[in-house]
Amino acid sequence: METLRQILSPDFLLRNSVYTSVLIGFACPLVGVFLVLRRLIFMGVALPQISSTGVAVALSLPLWLGMDMSGHDSQNAHVLAFAGSIAFTLMAILVLAFLERRGRGLPEGRLGTAYVVAAALSILLLSKNRYAELGWLDLMKGEIITVSNFDLTLTAIALALVLVVLGLFHKELMLVSFDRTLAVTLRKNVVFWDALTYLLIGFTVSMAVLSVGPLISFGFLLIPPLTAHLFARTMRQFTIFASLIGGVASFIGFWIAYQWDLPIGPTDVVLLGIIYALSFVVKKLAFLFQSKSKR
Amino acid sequence: MSEPVITLDGLAIGYDGRAVLSGISLAIARSSFTAILGANGSGKSTLLKTLLGLQPPVAGRIHFGSPPVFGYVPQTVELDPLFPLTGFDVALMGTYGRVGPGRFPPHAERQLVHDCLRATAADGFAHKKFSRLSGGQKQRVLIARALATRPDVLVLDEPTAGVDAAATHNLLEFISQIHAERKLTILLVTHDLPLVRKHAQQIVWLHQGQVLHGTVAELFTPERMAEIFEMELG
Repeated sequence: METLRQILSPDFLLRNSVYTSVLIGFACPLVGVFLVLRRLIFMGVALPQISSTGVAVALSLPLWLGMDMSGHDSQNAHVLAFAGSIAFTLMAILVLAFLERRGRGLPEGRLGTAYVVAAALSILLLSKNRYAELGWLDLMKGEIITVSNFDLTLTAIALALVLVVLGLFHKELMLVSFDRTLAVTLRKNVVFWDALTYLLIGFTVSMAVLSVGPLISFGFLLIPPLTAHLFARTMRQFTIFASLIGGVASFIGFWIAYQWDLPIGPTDVVLLGIIYALSFVVKKLAFLFQSKSKR
Repeated sequence: MSEPVITLDGLAIGYDGRAVLSGISLAIARSSFTAILGANGSGKSTLLKTLLGLQPPVAGRIHFGSPPVFGYVPQTVELDPLFPLTGFDVALMGTYGRVGPGRFPPHAERQLVHDCLRATAADGFAHKKFSRLSGGQKQRVLIARALATRPDVLVLDEPTAGVDAAATHNLLEFISQIHAERKLTILLVTHDLPLVRKHAQQIVWLHQGQVLHGTVAELFTPERMAEIFEMELG
């Protein structure tokens, strides 16, 4: 409990890391819900990886241009990394969505190729960048330790924006995801609403990757919605449960990691996996119990 | 014949510029009950998609008296069971054409959805998860959704597919009833000849690249049927 008191203290040294982690935990499942419902889980794996390659490319640019990066301030680096992340993510989403709409070829094959090439490219860039040790190797591993006030503010604003857009246009985003034909007959601009859905996913993934790395981003995009889906009866429940599971797990994960000196991101993901497994067992037991009662 | 709500003028339909069917010229009268018949791959779904504006015609034109509101009832297999939506949630989507972005459906629209669910006898199970409903129950919810659009034309894409015989009978009786009560124009895509004979007034029969069009009395004569089925067997 002493650790918990420390974490909750306003003077806690890593408080920005806690806030960032919890923000990502709450926000990622909100767009993850659409990835799961649209059966785009593979896209959820590939996008964070592509996004992190964007970060790697953006941070390698000054090196390639012969600029000295040793004295640059973290705000510029963060903005540069965000630009790289969002550019790569949106470009990948546009290309993948376009190919998806054409309906030709093997979508899983395309996503798998994008994932593995992006991962390999990140490793290559890291191996040739002497600033890798300055922090973004930690980012790739999911170490959420050095989060500045600027980083935290940027993350909070971006995720609040995502939340507002999702809240305002949930009805339209749900309609085009569930029944495109109905959306067309109701004269909705399905291309615009599809684009907005992908934009929200891309934006959230970029922010999450920049804050917690690709592995953890994927974990928070996927596992909370899958867990919530076991129990949710309505879309409202599905969205709220997923977000709550993500937010609470990220806080408890941070607590466990701090208590036992573990890397935060991987601890969060393993915790989410345990919650999912336990929920699955509880659901099965409840089903068996109900079946027996009926007999 | 009353004024046409949809007129097809030399229409050719297909994909990627290649016509599956061409030279389609016919008129769908307001308040009529038209069945679109044809074997698998005859172009029924393509015709429906073209009428609904989901894909452009390869050639020719579609004229609407005034742009109609389509109440579309898809095949239930087209809707992903992964979505945790209740029957009411699904039916409520019918009102989204009138409720602008960023707004929640107001009380009056929700009341309309309740009325539509009651009219289709779906109010008893509308609170249940849509994916857990039977085929016939899903169709009733989807018809309620289509009615909630306040449609001029009700378009039903094989509504009896995957529905047992008793439910099929009830469903078609019900569609005939709302056609009579609300004077709706109905376009029904189906394979089921006996049901068409009983309920439809006009037939559009897509057959080996040809479009046969006429009333039930004109097309369901022994001579025409023998001609059609000989062609089909041939």
